[in-house]
Amino acid sequence: MSTTPALGPLPQEGRLRSLADFYVTTMRTAVQEQFQYRAATYMYLVGMVAEPVIYLVVWSTIAEQSGGTVGGLTAGEFAAYYIVWTLVRTMNIVFTPYGWEWRIRNGQLSGQLLRPLHPIHYDLAEFAGGKIPWVVFYLPIAAVLTLVFHPTFDIRWQEVAVFSVAIWGAYLIRTFNQSALGLITFWTTRVGALFQLYIVLELLLSGRLVPLTLFPQWVQTVAWFLPFRWTFYFPIQTLVGDLSNAELLGGLAMQVFWTLVGIGVFSLVWRRAIKRYTAVGN
Amino acid sequence: MNDLQYRVNFALQVLQSLLALATGLIVLSLVYSHVVELNGWSKPELLAVLGTQILMGGVIRALIQPNMMRLTEDVHEGKLDYALTKPVDAQMLISVREVQVWQAVDIVVGAIVIAVALARLGGDIGVLDALAFAIALAFGAVTLYCFWLVLATGSFWVVRMWFLPELFEGIFQTGRWPVGIYPDWLRFGITFLVPIAFAITVPAEALTSRLDWQTLLLAVGFAVVLFAFTRWFWRFGLRNYTGASA
Amino acid sequence: MTEAAVRVDGLLKVFDVPEREAGLKAATKSLVRRKTREVRAVDGISFEIAPGEIVGFLGPNGAGKTTTLKMLSGLLYVSGGEARVLGHVPSKRERSFLRRISLVMGNRNQLQWDLPALDSFELNRSIYQIPRADFLAIRDELIELLEIGDLVRKPVRQLSLGERMKVEIVGSLLHRPQVLFLDEPTIGLDVTMQKRIREFIALYRQRHEATVMLTSHYMADVEALCERVIVIHHGRILFDGDLDALSDTVAAWKTIAVVVENGGGDLSGYGEVIHRDGDLVTLRVPKAETARVTARLLAEQEVLDLNVEDPPIEDVIELVFAGETVE
Repeated sequence: MSTTPALGPLPQEGRLRSLADFYVTTMRTAVQEQFQYRAATYMYLVGMVAEPVIYLVVWSTIAEQSGGTVGGLTAGEFAAYYIVWTLVRTMNIVFTPYGWEWRIRNGQLSGQLLRPLHPIHYDLAEFAGGKIPWVVFYLPIAAVLTLVFHPTFDIRWQEVAVFSVAIWGAYLIRTFNQSALGLITFWTTRVGALFQLYIVLELLLSGRLVPLTLFPQWVQTVAWFLPFRWTFYFPIQTLVGDLSNAELLGGLAMQVFWTLVGIGVFSLVWRRAIKRYTAVGN
Repeated sequence: MNDLQYRVNFALQVLQSLLALATGLIVLSLVYSHVVELNGWSKPELLAVLGTQILMGGVIRALIQPNMMRLTEDVHEGKLDYALTKPVDAQMLISVREVQVWQAVDIVVGAIVIAVALARLGGDIGVLDALAFAIALAFGAVTLYCFWLVLATGSFWVVRMWFLPELFEGIFQTGRWPVGIYPDWLRFGITFLVPIAFAITVPAEALTSRLDWQTLLLAVGFAVVLFAFTRWFWRFGLRNYTGASA
Repeated sequence: MTEAAVRVDGLLKVFDVPEREAGLKAATKSLVRRKTREVRAVDGISFEIAPGEIVGFLGPNGAGKTTTLKMLSGLLYVSGGEARVLGHVPSKRERSFLRRISLVMGNRNQLQWDLPALDSFELNRSIYQIPRADFLAIRDELIELLEIGDLVRKPVRQLSLGERMKVEIVGSLLHRPQVLFLDEPTIGLDVTMQKRIREFIALYRQRHEATVMLTSHYMADVEALCERVIVIHHGRILFDGDLDALSDTVAAWKTIAVVVENGGGDLSGYGEVIHRDGDLVTLRVPKAETARVTARLLAEQEVLDLNVEDPPIEDVIELVFAGETVE
């Protein structure tokens, strides 16, 4: 058996290669786990779908009562919007501040801090892996929704290409935003209240509740300056709306921008959070 | 828990309830900025629906859900026996032992919203309507309780039930709107499968003077039948459970 | 001259513990001004550990052992003084530092709960950037040494406490850390498992020349593994030296817990009565006298139950270092 000199350097694999290995391994086990617990996931997805179905029914009713359209959208277009919504939602579910709270409280974070890998990679990799089975589970639900609500679609292949990137942009933005929020747990146990506020703002300003065009103009203007619209409205619009190629690419650029902002905020808070955590310990 | 934490908890709960209420009101305003009435319901009438939904939500989260989730956890961890050895009817015990007092804030908030809605509607409510409302509300709560207990009893066979609160919460949101707007199959589902209509729409119909006595009778009847079934199902599950662990 | 693997100089860790008396008046006062009490978990300790040494950190609960280890592994910020491990400042948590150390805490799991241990090992491989060939070699060696071949395919949550400890240790050694911190590794395990783990640590260290710092409140752990022992109490070092020297003073005593018919009366003639709990009397006797005293007790008294034990470390420390304990 080889022995290493007591204080000498250890043989080491390349950083990037190891990181890629880590992601692949974690994603693979996440896929396995999700398929194992598919019953519970299905229940969760059904509950998740209830939300957009309600919005869809309400706005379709309004559209029909108002002579066919409201805000320029027909019932069929609302159906398309909310069905794509469900796919976007499936993709943008991420690790919540409650998860951070749990992780800090039960000491899992200490174990992660001992390792030469930032804990955010665990979350990014695990949830990303889980998306694959989730989308597979989701497809039958989408089929049912399509049969019931008769959406009208008009899709170009460029839109599909951009969409498949945009859903990951939404995933990243939400991950870093919510993780930054989750770090606040280091300072207070009441992060739930702050998170609720975040969710409400997101609900109204991201296109989660309704297509943003149904809001009065001033709300739409506010929404432009916030990251929320890039987690729901933009990804949905790539498929459902009539965006030009320039708008599609511009939207992706905005997602990159907000992801970087999210990473920046998260890193800043992380440094201070760790200082605080290591001062007090667990 | 000392005084300070008490007050902080209370303040935070009120904040959360108000936030949820504000969201509901914003949505209502948005809807009514595009129409004058939805499925025959005017804005104040829909406000009454919202208030009823918030009130019922408070009842569920304060009184029903904590008990039912505790039941599923006890079954999962094998701790149910403690409840079974007490000289009280087991169903009664597992139904009332847990209370999330803070969630009762929603009951108050819901009541206030209902009051505001009634004021907007003209201010007075007939004795018959008020009585019908009270009856519908009470029996609606019973139906919800039964529904939850049937699900929780399912944990005797299907051990993992962690998704229940979120699943229910999603479907419960259908109660914010008059059930008439939903496609037939969904309306049927949220009337007889998940008793949203009986718990929310029917009482709201009483408040807004559109409830006919046949519907009220149906609501009461359904509650009674469901209660009997729930009782039977609970005892069936319990026999099964204790038989297995013997 | 080889550099020390671990160097600690005047290490200090102070916690600010909120202090509040009961009562409404005090609660309202605490709204305005938070009164905190300073707790010195580690109160200025200094020592050096050479590469390849195995040192036992012995002390009762709350003595500051775990706090010291957490500071040395980067989990806790240092309040004062200096700590260096392999030349790094631990609290900086540099990646190159974390790759060379390992902290195993008894009762705590760092492996993934729902996955088979093998999968967690795979994850550790990529986290620690271990080249595949090296990884497979060390992994198989460790699995064989600890005989966990049939355990590594089962989800960790299905393993017993002792089995879990074994896979935890393997997981923590895959990257061949040069410094190994073990915090109460045998706690909660049965006697056979304790022995097994001790044997393994000794063997591992021999093969891979790792530096090991082990904390425990079981004298047996330290006796089995360490040449050098540091006794810590109330955050201060009371003893730092050869285990033998300590053994002479410490293991010179035994306690006899005896239950005697009709309450026992006065047993002070047999040894020092240190505890009385109804019918149960605890005596302290010099080690050499144990057999004689036991025989006398059995002959002269109506003994219902008798147990001979090592004195708990707390008693030993009080006894041996009574003069140096600081409140």
